[in-house]
Amino acid sequence: MSRRILLAAALLSLAGCRRSGPPSDTLRLALINDPVMNAPLSPDIGSVLINKVIFPGLMRPSDSITPEPDLATGYRISPDGRRYTFTLRSGVVWHDGKPFTATDVKFTFDRILDPKSGTLQWSDFSVVDSVTIADPLTVDFWLKSPFAPFLTLLGHNAGIIPAHAFTGPIADQVDFNRSHPVGTGPYQVTESVPGSYIVLTANPKYYGAPPRLSRIVFKIVPDVNAQVAQLRAGELDLVTLEPANLRGLADDPDLRIDQVTVPQHYYVGFNQSLPLFKSPLVRRALTLAVNRQAIIDGVMRGYADYPQGTIPVALREYYADGLPTIPYDTTAALALLAQAGWHRGPGAVLTDAGGRPFQFTMLVDKGNPSREQAAVAVQQDFKRIGVTAQIKTMEFASLVRDYVTPRRHEAYLIWWNTPLDPDQFSYYGTGQSNNDVLYSNRTADSLLAVGRATLDPARRRAAYLAFQAVEAEDPPVLLLYYPREVQVRRAQLMGLPALGIRDALRHAEKLYFRAR
Amino acid sequence: MAGFLVRRVLQGLLVLWLVTTATFLLIHAAPGGPAVLADPKLSAVERQAIEARLGIDQPLATQYLRWHARLLEGDLGRSFLYQTPTLSTVLTRLPNTLALVAASLLLSLVIAVPLGVAVGLAPGGRLDRTVGVINFTSLAIPPFWFGIVAILLVAARWHLLPAGGMVTPGQHDLGDRLAHLALPMAVLALPLSAELIRFLRAAVTGTAAASHVRPAAARGLTRGAVLRRHVLRNTLVPLLTVLGLQIPMLVGGAAVTETVFAWPGMGRLSVEAALGRDYPLVMAIALVVAATVVTANFLLDLAYGWADPRIRSQA
Amino acid sequence: MNPGRHAYHRAAAGIAALALFAFLGPLLYRADPTLVDLAHTTAAMSWAHPLGTDESGRDVLARLMSGGRVSLIVGWSAGLVALVVGTLAGALAASRPRWLAATASRLLDAALAVPAFFVLLVIVTLFGAGTGTLIVAIGATAWMGIGRLVRAETLTLRERDYVAVAVALGESRPRLFLRHVLPHLVPTLTAAATVGVAQAVLTESALSFLGLGVEPPQASWGNMLTGAQQNLGAAPWLALYPGILIVATVLACNALSEAFRRRA
Repeated sequence: MSRRILLAAALLSLAGCRRSGPPSDTLRLALINDPVMNAPLSPDIGSVLINKVIFPGLMRPSDSITPEPDLATGYRISPDGRRYTFTLRSGVVWHDGKPFTATDVKFTFDRILDPKSGTLQWSDFSVVDSVTIADPLTVDFWLKSPFAPFLTLLGHNAGIIPAHAFTGPIADQVDFNRSHPVGTGPYQVTESVPGSYIVLTANPKYYGAPPRLSRIVFKIVPDVNAQVAQLRAGELDLVTLEPANLRGLADDPDLRIDQVTVPQHYYVGFNQSLPLFKSPLVRRALTLAVNRQAIIDGVMRGYADYPQGTIPVALREYYADGLPTIPYDTTAALALLAQAGWHRGPGAVLTDAGGRPFQFTMLVDKGNPSREQAAVAVQQDFKRIGVTAQIKTMEFASLVRDYVTPRRHEAYLIWWNTPLDPDQFSYYGTGQSNNDVLYSNRTADSLLAVGRATLDPARRRAAYLAFQAVEAEDPPVLLLYYPREVQVRRAQLMGLPALGIRDALRHAEKLYFRAR
Repeated sequence: MAGFLVRRVLQGLLVLWLVTTATFLLIHAAPGGPAVLADPKLSAVERQAIEARLGIDQPLATQYLRWHARLLEGDLGRSFLYQTPTLSTVLTRLPNTLALVAASLLLSLVIAVPLGVAVGLAPGGRLDRTVGVINFTSLAIPPFWFGIVAILLVAARWHLLPAGGMVTPGQHDLGDRLAHLALPMAVLALPLSAELIRFLRAAVTGTAAASHVRPAAARGLTRGAVLRRHVLRNTLVPLLTVLGLQIPMLVGGAAVTETVFAWPGMGRLSVEAALGRDYPLVMAIALVVAATVVTANFLLDLAYGWADPRIRSQA
Repeated sequence: MNPGRHAYHRAAAGIAALALFAFLGPLLYRADPTLVDLAHTTAAMSWAHPLGTDESGRDVLARLMSGGRVSLIVGWSAGLVALVVGTLAGALAASRPRWLAATASRLLDAALAVPAFFVLLVIVTLFGAGTGTLIVAIGATAWMGIGRLVRAETLTLRERDYVAVAVALGESRPRLFLRHVLPHLVPTLTAAATVGVAQAVLTESALSFLGLGVEPPQASWGNMLTGAQQNLGAAPWLALYPGILIVATVLACNALSEAFRRRA
């Protein structure tokens, strides 16, 4: 009985399905759990996504790498780069009808600058010293030092929340955060059913181009296979998926698969406070020993770009186009390792002068098939040059909390997901808070510091190109790939900018369905 | 009767205390801490601020006592993940699980009682053999797999029923709700009815063969009367017992079905709470789930009294 | 010929065949179940891979064998844990002195009131899903039914004459239980325990579905079945093999249990 059902299911799922009707006016998206609808709080990806629609920021991502003004009409930067003066849009009203003013901007950033408020954006804006109101439509941001990523970060997660809606700590305003948020975005929340869905209705008072859909519905669908099923059944319109989940969707005439580059880099990090990984020669050798193309083709099914440095191709002009790509060359890897004092001993195991084998534990978070597969592929590639990597899978939370944060890790497969800005000072600058691989290179430090503090695009670009050249000699991490975000949408859904979903939803008013 | 009630209530409270204490020890004995602290981008400043806000910088004994002190005020704390009062979070989800479980229970009774009695009265017959094979198979298929195949065929392929969720957003009519209920209910009811049929068959076979039934039949009572007066009556009490044992299993087993069908119930919430190390939420769920089961068992005890007057007089 | 006996033999043969496949199979078929071959993913049957390869290019037959070992070990061990704990708890709940029996009885009732799967979820999410953790966790949440059964049967048996005689002769309680009560429980217990094994195999697959089962790259039938979901369109056989093996295991165990029950 089960056999027959399985076969039938397999056969039937090969074919797509078709239904007809008028163009839909409701966009249905999936979240994996109930969001916190308060931009500075946004504790998870689902909250981040919905908050992009509800709460616009002063800036938003644009087609180019430079963000465009959103709730602001323009900005002025003082010559020393430490003061940003924003002119706010006039006539903007909150979803509850009250006017949007500079007070709201100051209120929002005062919360962001106070880690006790429950915000998760404190580190994004720790460079901000204070925010002051010049007049109801003019705000000044005073920075501790010049900070090039500032505008991008304003358009990233820093949605503005209304000062008048809060009486106590923002994290305590449960009714606002869970059911009745008030923003200035093109769609406003009109119904929220915990665990089930949230309905956003077009905001007739929206300050930008009028929203083209009448509703956006965020449905709570925790399981990715259930998301795929609902997509096929016509109950979801746009879902971002891992390449492994795409099988069979390509043949569905109702669906389109788009891929966009996103500012992410996946890598194997080595704890460089350990003697084993101190030498750049060793790290370069390990980098050469991995067959990335096989991982990109086999695990990512081609939905990834071949990497070179830690600045991914999504960062366009900051990505060093001219550098030679990392080859897959085990002979060269073994030669470098020999220079570093590692030779192949009995059983083709790599040992040092004292006869100790080259071995370590590589952590990977569980539950994500592509990362687990990539880890196994890397392990096998290492084995070919006599290096033993013991894989240990664990929950992501445990990996970070129990190993990486307390620096108890040796090697781990992980990724960074960054704003659309090349600033990586906090990740790869010596002693910086997010430098979990404990990378330290003086030249890299100064280049990253220059890149972060320089507002002139050309000089900035030169600094990052030089940084990538340094990385080729002294790799901070073993780059695996730059994943592309795979967006599966209903064929009639139009107007989606070619950006990652997080950034694309900042343009929610542009989305619409064309007629069939 | 009053003494019986008081005793049952005290016993119930004891069970709840055992459950919460065990849960507290369990979650704190586990390695690691709340998932909100697992963001690799957090700085030390943010980490400390979060720990202070959540109250997890306090010694364990303090946290344990504080939890119970708050409980007396009806406050079960705030969820780490959702930043909502845990009790209301759980109570908004509980009815959804109860609705699903009650519907499946009902469906399985509707299927199992007539079938179970029928095969019990004619063991070894053709019906018995057919039902037996179906039963065995439905107990052997992993329920999540049955759910996935059902979605693929019924929803994704044939568009007969929705693939998941409890309602179509914005729609509030009963038909829509029933359509959403149908598949998860069937998936949950399938193994349960198999279990019940198996049980009823054994019970009915036993009773029908028992000494006092045969003379009744010999006295010339109609088959229907024998069934009603003797067989069903005697099967009712053990049937209630089996149901009582199935309720905790159903509430727990709903976790998988709820995940497959994106059903906004407790099961899914508990997976999220445990994965996110959301201590207050895990505690609240444990308490509410245990209280639900204790209450269900209590109601069942009352039902025993109704089903069998002898038990009532004993109590 | 007795039909019960026939069923018993068939079920036992089925279980033996599954165990032989998982435990002795690897001696005949030596492919590495964890070897990833990204150039040959979801390949169909071939000489190199008699049952094809999975989404990582690993040999399906080898994974079925290695996964079978894990599933069967988890199933049988968890069943055993439940049997031992349940028998002890049930015996205590029907023992003397009265306070001990009452305490054990209350604990047993409390345990019966807790949704086992929920507890299991909490334990496995918190402590991770090593094979050992899984066995203990599944066993520790499945013993209550057996405990109840043992308590009830022991209380009934205690009323029998020969037990009363033994008591009068001054036999110690534990000895009494071991010599006079336990032997009578054997058929019932065996029946319950075999069902427990089937339940444990299903539980492991449900945990795998929630992403909480046996940890990759180690295979289990449960996580193979779960992994196959994504490829149902392109490679339905990936679901078919572990699915059939799980169903076969559960069927065989349930049938064996049924046969034991008839003999009881």
